[in-house]
Amino acid sequence: MEGRILEHPILSFTRQKRVRIFFEGNEIEAYEGESVAAALHAAGIKVLRYTPINGRPAGFFCAVGKCSSCLMEIDGVPNVRSCMTKVRDGMQVRRQHGKGDLV
Amino acid sequence: MKEYDAIVIGGGPAGMSAASVLGDHVKTLILDENDALGGQLVKQTHKFFGDHAHYASKRGFEIAKELTDEIYKKPVDISTASTVIGIYPQNTVAYVKDGREELVRYKKLLIATGAMERQLPFINSDLPGVYGAGAIQTLMNQYGIFPGKRFLIIGSGNIGLILAYQLAQTGAEVRMIVEALDKVGGYEVHANKVKRLGIPILLKHTIVKAMGDESVQGVVIAEVDDKFGVIPGTEKEIVVDTICVSVGLIPLTELAEQAKCKIEYIPELGGYVPVRDERMHTTNSDVFVAGDLSSIEEATTAIIEGKLAAMQIVKDLTKTDLGKEISDELKTLDIFRSGPKSFKIRKGLEKMGIKVPEIEVPKLFQTPIENAKSKLHAVIECTEEIPCNSCESSCKFDAIKVGENINTPPIFDPSKCTGCAVCVTACPGLAIFMEKLDESPNATIGIPYEFLPLPKFNEKMWGMDKEGNYVCDLTVKRVVKNPNKTNIVYVELPKEFVDDVRHVRYPKKESPFVCRCEEVTLDQIEKIIDSGITDFEEIKRMTRITMGPCGGKNCKMITLGIISRKTGIPISKLSHGTSRPPVKPTEFSAFLRGDEK
Repeated sequence: MEGRILEHPILSFTRQKRVRIFFEGNEIEAYEGESVAAALHAAGIKVLRYTPINGRPAGFFCAVGKCSSCLMEIDGVPNVRSCMTKVRDGMQVRRQHGKGDLV
Repeated sequence: MKEYDAIVIGGGPAGMSAASVLGDHVKTLILDENDALGGQLVKQTHKFFGDHAHYASKRGFEIAKELTDEIYKKPVDISTASTVIGIYPQNTVAYVKDGREELVRYKKLLIATGAMERQLPFINSDLPGVYGAGAIQTLMNQYGIFPGKRFLIIGSGNIGLILAYQLAQTGAEVRMIVEALDKVGGYEVHANKVKRLGIPILLKHTIVKAMGDESVQGVVIAEVDDKFGVIPGTEKEIVVDTICVSVGLIPLTELAEQAKCKIEYIPELGGYVPVRDERMHTTNSDVFVAGDLSSIEEATTAIIEGKLAAMQIVKDLTKTDLGKEISDELKTLDIFRSGPKSFKIRKGLEKMGIKVPEIEVPKLFQTPIENAKSKLHAVIECTEEIPCNSCESSCKFDAIKVGENINTPPIFDPSKCTGCAVCVTACPGLAIFMEKLDESPNATIGIPYEFLPLPKFNEKMWGMDKEGNYVCDLTVKRVVKNPNKTNIVYVELPKEFVDDVRHVRYPKKESPFVCRCEEVTLDQIEKIIDSGITDFEEIKRMTRITMGPCGGKNCKMITLGIISRKTGIPISKLSHGTSRPPVKPTEFSAFLRGDEK
């Protein structure tokens, strides 16, 4: 099951403004207020990076900014916690391979 | 550098309740990493246990909103999206906001950073699709995004149980909960909510490994022995796309350590915790802690601890006399923690040198209910000593008694019950049902229902028992919608099943597809034959079987076989319809002649 919950017995979700974010250059659906990791998950993307030593696929674990498992390259900056970063119109998101370059 | 009398780090229940008190007395700043205050309450959709004064019966996100609204009315500086990265010498907090480091000074500091999910290393536990329980709640309840389709939950504490229930509310399939211990960790009422949905809780089982290449596609579970070792040969593969780890929380002590608070390892409280006194004062005279950081407990205790710490800070800074208020809060905490489920917390606090008074949970005796059976009345199935009295506070007719110690299970006086069912909607454990049993052969029961779609009058449904097994067919007689979203479905059912049925669901019968073109199931065909129609041509017209693009190549023989089996007439004696061209899908243009269009 992917995508967004439209009807819920307890909660009502009102989506904010639609924004365009790009994952590996391809546009995916996102709404203001969502984290990058959440928008990617809704689009069926669970692999957020490949680990530095063994090149293993990794996604988020805690989704609340504690575990640092969801680091991605966002607008050219590596090691950004995608679970704590809100989507912005025009954002370029890439899977991080390895540790990321300092400059 | 800006200086505050009090700085609170963390805007969850503990930090918010503290800042609210502090704001009334001293210059206060509250810092939180998220865009909004509320902590983990914002993604809790279940109703909370506890007492009326501490938000019992309210859902987590509603409590977050109330606490947030209160704080915004106070003269408190609130800085969200502010990530505290360290505590520096000379009472300095360093945080990052908008990409820049900011420094602020405090006279008194309250650290309420909460906890994070405990990791559980197993093979492939780093695979995408292995998520902490909180992560799944964040996706599902905060962002409204489906976290997956088929789940395995590891751990049967309250968080695992609540999560299973919340996942079911989104329509996801929870294959099972595995628990390494020989009993369920969380509250019995939470476990019952899950079991009656048909979600099994496998005790003495653990996860061996996750399977999948780029993300989870399955899991291997196995039985464990008394030392939690896997018993060879008991391994089983289960198809799931998401594995949820809910094996406990660990306090986030880094900032307390940097603030030079003494840290001790007390497993009963969650692991490494800051040493503190009963008023939340750490070994650093300027630093206090509250909430899950000080001991893994509940939002209610976090709220009380936050208040306590704040009052002590106010007392230290302004010499305001808050002795009475402080001792009231301490008493509330002691009573809250007096039940059997708080045993570990009491033990842990004692290890820390905090005296926890022994308070006996009074045993009340239930009067026999027989005399009230003929009228509609409540049935309370809450026998475990847990800290909650929401039923007592909800009943306007004094029919439910819990008493001063909120860990006492409720007793119910049926003669005072008017059948209003307010307690059914208030109970956070969904452990109260309505029942009417008179002379007629059918009984009525009312069942709390938090799923979509909401049943309608006269609909036929299935009655399910406490373990989620089918009991009987029943009919919906009345549906009462409630503003708090715990609706009540009243159903009529044969009298003998009245003590068994505790959940209703729409009939679900899996049936194989016989016709893949027109999507006709075996069940549909059998129903038509059962209604007396046995002619192949009739069945064809009613279902469109054999009329799709394949022309019956896939399904004709199967359908004839079904008719033959059910009627006893050999296939050779059945009419089998007429075959007409085209026997293969053909474009209309193929039939055009010359320059026809």
